Order: sequence, then C-alpha cells, then structure tokens
Amino acid sequence: MKFERIILENFRQYYVQERLDFAKDNQRRVTVIHGVNGAGKTSLFLAINWCLYGEGVDNVGELISKEAIKQASPGDTVTMSVELSFLHDGERYLAKRTRRGTRMLDGSVQINSSDEFIMMRILWDGQAQSIKNPIGTINAILPSNIRSYYLFDGEKIDDFAKPEAAKEVKEAIYLVFKLETLDRARRHLETAASDYRKELKTSTTGELLNLLDEDEKARGELGKKENRKVEITAEIQAARRKINDIDQRLREIQNAKFLQQQRDRVEQDLKQRRSELEDTQNLIRDISTTSYYTIVQPAIERALSLLEEKRERGEIPSNIRRQFVQDLVAQMQCICGRPFTAGSPEHQRLLRILDNALPGSLEDDVLEITATLRAFNERILRQRSELTILMKRRAELVDLIKDLDAVSDDIGRQLKDSQFEEVSRLELQRENFLTDIDRYNIETGELTRDIEGLKEKIAQLEKRIAQARKNEKREKLLSIKFDLAQKAADAIKDMYQTYADDMRLRIEGKTKEIFKMLIWKDSHFRDVCISRDFELEVIDRYGRPARPELSAGERQVLSLSFITAMSRISEEEAPLVMDTPFGRLSSQPRNNVTRYLPELADQLVLLVTDEELRDQARANLESRIGYEYILEFDPKTSCTTIVEVRR
Amino acid sequence: MTDIVNIRDTVTIDEAAHEIYKQLTEGSNLLEAPFKTMKDVFMFATCLGVKLGIKRQLTIKKLTIFRWAQFDSQTDIPMLKAIAIADTDDVSVLLRRNDILTIAEEYANAGIYELRASLLEEYGQPLWNLVSIVSQGIN
Repeated sequence: MKFERIILENFRQYYVQERLDFAKDNQRRVTVIHGVNGAGKTSLFLAINWCLYGEGVDNVGELISKEAIKQASPGDTVTMSVELSFLHDGERYLAKRTRRGTRMLDGSVQINSSDEFIMMRILWDGQAQSIKNPIGTINAILPSNIRSYYLFDGEKIDDFAKPEAAKEVKEAIYLVFKLETLDRARRHLETAASDYRKELKTSTTGELLNLLDEDEKARGELGKKENRKVEITAEIQAARRKINDIDQRLREIQNAKFLQQQRDRVEQDLKQRRSELEDTQNLIRDISTTSYYTIVQPAIERALSLLEEKRERGEIPSNIRRQFVQDLVAQMQCICGRPFTAGSPEHQRLLRILDNALPGSLEDDVLEITATLRAFNERILRQRSELTILMKRRAELVDLIKDLDAVSDDIGRQLKDSQFEEVSRLELQRENFLTDIDRYNIETGELTRDIEGLKEKIAQLEKRIAQARKNEKREKLLSIKFDLAQKAADAIKDMYQTYADDMRLRIEGKTKEIFKMLIWKDSHFRDVCISRDFELEVIDRYGRPARPELSAGERQVLSLSFITAMSRISEEEAPLVMDTPFGRLSSQPRNNVTRYLPELADQLVLLVTDEELRDQARANLESRIGYEYILEFDPKTSCTTIVEVRR
Repeated sequence: MTDIVNIRDTVTIDEAAHEIYKQLTEGSNLLEAPFKTMKDVFMFATCLGVKLGIKRQLTIKKLTIFRWAQFDSQTDIPMLKAIAIADTDDVSVLLRRNDILTIAEEYANAGIYELRASLLEEYGQPLWNLVSIVSQGIN
C-alpha cells in the first residue's frame, strides 16, 4: 500500500476542503508535514486512521469542523469526509468515509446514525468500480489490527522497548506475520481432535466384537441343538420301528397273539379318539374366542333400547325416506296429489319430519345395526348350545381315552407278566422303547424351546450387530477424523514453532542491523536480541542486558528499529506514517534516523514540529523528500490550511 | 358429516399391553394360547372392559396391531357400534368411526388386564378359563 492523496473536508480544524499529495517515488518517497503544536498534525494522522478503519478517533472530541457547524444554519446538514487514494498491488483505490450531522438550534450537531464508507477500484481505463465489501477489502490490504505498526504515534514509539513490552512484541510479531492465523488453526484442530477423542472414548466399547462372539456362540449352540433334534427324531423313529417289530412278533407268538390284537384295536381307537378330541377342542376354541358378545349382552340390550326409543319418537323413520319427504316439500304437493301452501298444517308437518329425521347414512346404519343386534340374541343361544354340546363331547372323549389307556396298560401288564419268557422279554423291551420315546419327546420339547429361544436371540443379535456395524463405521470415520485433526494440529504446531522462531530470529537480525545503523553509541551496544519469550533486549559491551538503562531516545530508536525490521521482513508494502517521531531524540540520533529511515520504508510520511527537523537532520532527508507541507493554523478561525512548500 | 379424510383406519393398543396380546396368540398350543388373532383378543378385551364398566385412556406409547378392515362386518362392527351407543347414549355416534374406535380401544385397554388375570393368572389352562368366562356370560 502506498498513499497517493488525501482530501479532508470539514475534518476537525480542516474547514471546507484541504488536499495533500503523498510522495511515492522510489527516490523521493518522503512526505514531510510541518506543524507547530496544535496545528493539525495529529488530526491528519487521525484522518488517515478514521478514513480507512473508522477507528482510532475515540476520546478526541468532535470530529466535524466547528467552523463548518458554526457556518451552517439550524437544520442544515453538515458533511465531514476524508478521502484517501492509494496504490496496492498494481491497483489504484479510492476510499472515502463520510459523516453527516444536522445543525441544531443550540449550535450542537446531531450525528446521523452511521458513517458511510465506500471504496472504489480504478480500472485501467479510468472507470471506477465500486467494491461491495469495502471493510473486508481494506482489512485484506492492511489489517486493522496491525495498522498501528505502520501508522504510529511518535509519542508511543518506545512502547516496544519498555521492560514490560514482551507481550506487545509478541503480539506485533504474531499479527504482522499472521502467526495468529496459524495458532488459531492449531487451536481449532486441537479442539476438534479433543472432541473426536471424547466421542470415540464414549462410543468405542468393542461392542461389535463381543456381539459377533456372542452370535457365533449362539449359532454354534443352535447347530448343536438342531443336530440333536434330528438325532432324536431318528431315535424316536427307530424306537417306533422296534415297537412295530415287537408288536409283529407278539402277533406271531401264539400265547401273545390275542392280547396283541386286542391292543391293536385299543390303540387304533385311542388314535381316533385323540384326533376327535383335538378337533373338538379346536371347535371349542373357535367358538369361545369369538363369543365375546355373550359377555356384553346388557350393552347390546341397552343399545337396542336406545334405538327403539328413537324409533318410537319417530326419529328413525318408519318406512318414510328423507328424500321422499324432501320431494313432497319441493313440489308443495301431498301424496294424494293435493297441493298445499307454505305454512299450511301439511307443510309444517312435513318440515317437522325432516327436522327430526336422521341423516340418510345414519338412517341406513341404524336400521342395519338394529337388525343385526336383534339377531345377536339368537346367535348367543346358538353358541351356548353348541359350546355345551362340545364341552360335553370333550368330557366324554376324555373319559373314553382314559378308559382306553387303562385297557392298553392292562394288556401291557398281562404281556409283561406272561409266563412265556419271550413274551415277557418282548413286552419289557417294548415298554423300554416307549419309555425312551417319552424321554426323547421330553428332550425334543426342551430342544424345541431352546431352539426357538436361540433363534430369537440370534435375531436380536443380528439387529444389534447391524447397529454395532453402523456404529463401527461411525467409529472408523471418527477415528480417521481424530487422527487427521491431531496430525494436522501437530504439524501446524511444529510449523508454527519453526516459523515463529525463524521470524523471531530474522526480525532479531534485522532489528540489530537497523539499531546499529541508527544508534549513535554503536560501539557501546554489542547486540540486540529477541528472546524466546519475545523480550526485546539490548546487550552492552560487557555482555549484560542494557535495556533498563536505555535513555528515552535510545528506547525510541530500539522500537523504531524493531518496527522497521518487521516492515522489511514482512515484505508488506506499506507506508510508515509517523506522528512527531523525533520529539525525544537529540541531534545525533535524529541525524542518524533521518539518514537511514527513508531506506527502511517504502513510503515515509513524517508529521513533525518545527523543532524536530532542522539542520543536518533536514539535510539528510532533503534528497528523499517528494512533497513538503506546512500546516498553517489561523488563530482567528481556529482552522488549518495545508500549504505546499514549493521546492 | 364425518370427514372421510380423517377417518382412522388403525386399531391401537398401549405398547405395554402388547406382550399380553402376544402371549394369548403365539404358539401352537391352543390350550395355552387360545386366540387365533390379535383382533380376537382385542374384541374380547373390549367386551370384558364393557362388562366390568372399566375404561382406560391409551398412553403416548401406542402400537397399531391391526386395521379396521380386519373386523368382521357381521359381528365385530355391529358389536363395537352397540358398545359405542350404550357408552354415549347417542345414536349419532354411528356416524363417527373414530369415536367408536376410541371407545373400544379404551375399554380394551382396561379389559386386557382383566383378560390376563382371568386366563393366565387363574388356576387352569387358558382355553378352559376362557370357556368358563364365556359360559358365565351366557348364564
């Protein structure tokens, strides 16, 4: 950034318009503005700050020219503005900030709500293009938070050299070299990594692994149980085959033949009765589970009674359809064909029927439900009769089965007690096989129960595994994010440290070089350091820290060296605007500063008192001054005029 | 007139009662789980609620167990309508299916616990306990 021109309008003591061009040649890059105390040097300095940033003007009183306010009539609008044109990166810009106020009766001014700030880019053909985001643009060119290192107040120039200034030095390096951006990125990434770590901690439980393990076990168990069930089924079939073989053998043995044939009949009968019992129980189930209406007969009666009341009141039309009545009323004609008039008894009667009648759909519903509910009573009776018969039959079947079982047991006992060993042995074997079948059946029941349980467990596990897989994907993603954030934060941290150290050392070297150039006691001071804690220190010839002993002028030179070193190292093209920079310097250091300072800035604007720039100091700058002005303060009007010194 | 668009089609129960519905319908042993469908359990629970005169509003956690179309038009629907008329003393409730359903659901929501107590918690097999209830109703 290089300033080109500033136009002040009604800004403090600059009444109406005052203009000033800045020197910007490579050779003549210094602009000197002379002014006695109170002539307007600080106002000009403030005007630059206010124009670009709208800031830096706190606690300086009214900005609008008092003369302009005085000259305005009550109700008139008073306009104050600062227009600054500058060059940056080969482009030319115009920035203008305007404040408007209304002159009040008491001589004060009522400021309009907010200042206007516009910025234009001047294109190659001279056309001006409005910049939509002027604040963002100016901050991109020379950020507000580093401006004080370029536009600085000479009164505060020794700030960096004060013993307690480590924080300011660090901040200056941070801001100018954008270390803050790196630090912010590191902090942000570390926070993100920490958040991801926390999230991972809460979500990583190895749940999927446990679930898969559990699932594997359950499936293994299920497989075993199913295999066992198949084995048992085969065992039962084998036992039944053996029983059939025994039965066949018993049929063949003369002494057992009769009993075995009797058993065959009993068992056939038992089979039939059991089947009949099952059918009967099914019928009982079908009737009983759908006979709910048998327990709410009072509610059915109550509903029917209400419906009956409606019918008795004529609300449920008995054979008179609503549409039919509506047609009679529309035609104003009785069923017999006789016409009637509006308001006649016939007409009124029909209207009453319509009023009392239920809507068509309800009418149908009522008629239908009444009929159905009436049929319920009959249905209840029928169901009762059927259920009674079925329960009776069931009881008979149960008794029959008991009797048949007893007969079968008796036959078995007779065969077992037979005096013929083979018969007895066969029957005993048969009984054992039957016992085996019973045992197998019990085991089958247990296995079936277990298999169902395991299948249910596996189904549940599958759901949980699917969910855990989803979680695992999320965990993996989280893990990647965490890793990335942490590595990036670590990398930035390393980069930051390296970069910060590098910058610190480079600034340190440059500060030392400039300090040596500017200071008059160069042989007394051996070194300038910026410690890792960002303390700016000067080492004397005895190798001891000398900063506490520095004079005000020496501190100013040290600060100036630091600032210009930063400007050089940062390679930012920016003007150095210094308000009363040499106030505390005696002639020797002033001569040194004026000799070298123009080389240390791309553009130098010096706001000086008449005392600050004289003799050798003035002679040193002579060849580098492009523009020179005097701020002429008129005590009669309290206004300042900028007068160019013709050279 | 009833707004056709807003006519409810689903029959809901409290989520908490769902286990009882499952217990009474699941499995192949008709003596232990006598009901064939959840609709049958619902109808029985409704009637038991009506018989005992107890209703209970459904909680927020509801569950749809079947649709209106599963009701038998010759038995279930007339029964539900009769219950609604008896409950409201108003014939026009017949025009409001949502009300008919809500009344039934509330009776069922109370009746289901009675059904569990009578069938599953009483001595004896659930089917015969059910037969006993039906017989008592008849007699």
